Amino acid sequence: MWRYIFKRLVSLIPTVLGVSLIVFSLMHISGDPVRLMYGPNVAQEKVDERRAELGLDDPILVQYARWLFRAVQGDLGKSIRTNDRVTTMIGQRVEATLSLTILALLITLVISIPAGVISAVKPYSVFDNASRVFALFWVSAPNFWLGLIFILIFGVQLGWLPISGRHGPLWSVDGFLSHILPALTLGLPPAALFTRLIRSNMLEVIHEDYIRTARGKGLPETVIVVKHAMRNSLIPVMTLLGLRMPWLFGGAVVTETVFAWPGMGRLMVDSIMKRDYPVVQGAVLFLALLVVLANLLVDVMYAWVDPRIKYD
Amino acid sequence: MGAMGEATTPGVGGSPWTVVLRRLRRNQLAVVGAIIVVALVLTAVFAPWIAPYDPAEQNFDALLEPPSRDHWFGTDDLGRDVFSRVIYGTRYALLIGVAVVAIESILGALLGFASGYFGGKVDAYISRLIDIMLAIPTLVLALAIAGALGGGISNMILAIGVSGWTEFARLVRGEVLAIRNSTYIEAAKAVGLSDWRIILRHVAPNTVAPFIVYTTLYIPTAILWAASLSFLGLGAQPPTPEWGALIADGRGYLSFAWWIAVMPGVAIMVTVMGFNFLGDGFRDALDPKMARQT
Repeated sequence: MWRYIFKRLVSLIPTVLGVSLIVFSLMHISGDPVRLMYGPNVAQEKVDERRAELGLDDPILVQYARWLFRAVQGDLGKSIRTNDRVTTMIGQRVEATLSLTILALLITLVISIPAGVISAVKPYSVFDNASRVFALFWVSAPNFWLGLIFILIFGVQLGWLPISGRHGPLWSVDGFLSHILPALTLGLPPAALFTRLIRSNMLEVIHEDYIRTARGKGLPETVIVVKHAMRNSLIPVMTLLGLRMPWLFGGAVVTETVFAWPGMGRLMVDSIMKRDYPVVQGAVLFLALLVVLANLLVDVMYAWVDPRIKYD
Repeated sequence: MGAMGEATTPGVGGSPWTVVLRRLRRNQLAVVGAIIVVALVLTAVFAPWIAPYDPAEQNFDALLEPPSRDHWFGTDDLGRDVFSRVIYGTRYALLIGVAVVAIESILGALLGFASGYFGGKVDAYISRLIDIMLAIPTLVLALAIAGALGGGISNMILAIGVSGWTEFARLVRGEVLAIRNSTYIEAAKAVGLSDWRIILRHVAPNTVAPFIVYTTLYIPTAILWAASLSFLGLGAQPPTPEWGALIADGRGYLSFAWWIAVMPGVAIMVTVMGFNFLGDGFRDALDPKMARQT
């Protein structure tokens, strides 16, 4: 297993290098970032001076090599606006994004696994049809709009939950309460999708020979469903989970903006608006790294769910 | 394609496409989806006749009015009729959805074909590029590109298009790989047809069916992404009545004029549902094995 993880980590190097090249080129497709930052009214000398300071007048390959060399050492440069280190800015916000995405993921799984299983055990029942209608609704609505509806209902009308900001870490009472609405906004749409997927997988698995054998042996229905059918129908769910990681982090960007959440996504959007490219580059690179590592984690978890999968 | 061949057994009759259309008609949700999509297209085309007011017309005597007989969806902070703005927004949504999917599908098809057909190093490089693109969340990349290009609808379309082609490339690559080793392609090669002729005459037509399904299912995704970008201020700019931008406009008035943000969201939801129903219907009609599973 450890050898497999090591091999996978090594194979990630070209991907991460490719990501870094795309991220680095982002700064250059917009033209001169310093001119964009200063606007048209600032004298060319001042722009040139700042360009030289930032090393932007070197050949592009030199700039990339320098940026990469520093990035490998954990130095993603400094914000053009605030002069703060990009790694420090990301470090201050990564916890907020992780706590939000992890809670959203938990919500997705806690809702979709039982809902999918019940829908499959009793197909075309009232529960199954209701879950289908909910799934259609959640999958079709834009998540930032759902966030606003949650704010309107649970924050403004009912006054039950805070509507913006992160009021502490997840394990504190205030912190947990402030996580609920953004995590629901982020976690419910994938929950809808997962519920349908688990249902269809379970329906397939339930008709397999080994389930009939289990029934023939006289095992209780709960054991058959939970121990035999559910475990096997979770494998495609893991695949989807891996594929959906980028969506989760992408969705976090929008959700964080709706809820004024002090995370990576909002940092990125704010920096795009202020054309603070070192921060944008750092944030995109970091989010891509999170996606890559989350996918690796999902692959490793395959072994736990399905012992037939061997890692060499 | 095997599924379509199976459907043209004696007694069932008709060309494969007639069979697909017949199956589509039998699927109630697909019919609902088709009706919604046709209604959206008609709304976009006839917006000036359907909308009771000019979408940009300001009326300072009717600021933030709730839904009423005069203003079905209420008015916004400048007294503009929200219903008329939502109706005109249909034009932007469809235009953006189709344009984004056109860019994604052309890029994806070219790279997917090249990757699947030529194999070897070409396949290795393109597959690596796809891996790299998949590591960056599409929305994050689209945001960064749109920000670098500087807002506006065309830049937004370009940004989403160049960020989201990977699924199309993977689909086409997979289909081409499956077809490439079939005997009729070997025969075409044996009689000395050029690569391009084989791709255009023999490989491409066989990827059309899954391509249609993907296109229909990706239009709503593109609409959702575009709405997100506009909501964040990196897509359509005011006073363009694009749905995401309309929701952003209404955000500040949520507690006392909910209709400004809620109505465009409902429009997005209905549109996305319509295309999803139709896309699912196409998928089920083209591949009946999938039909009863979801």
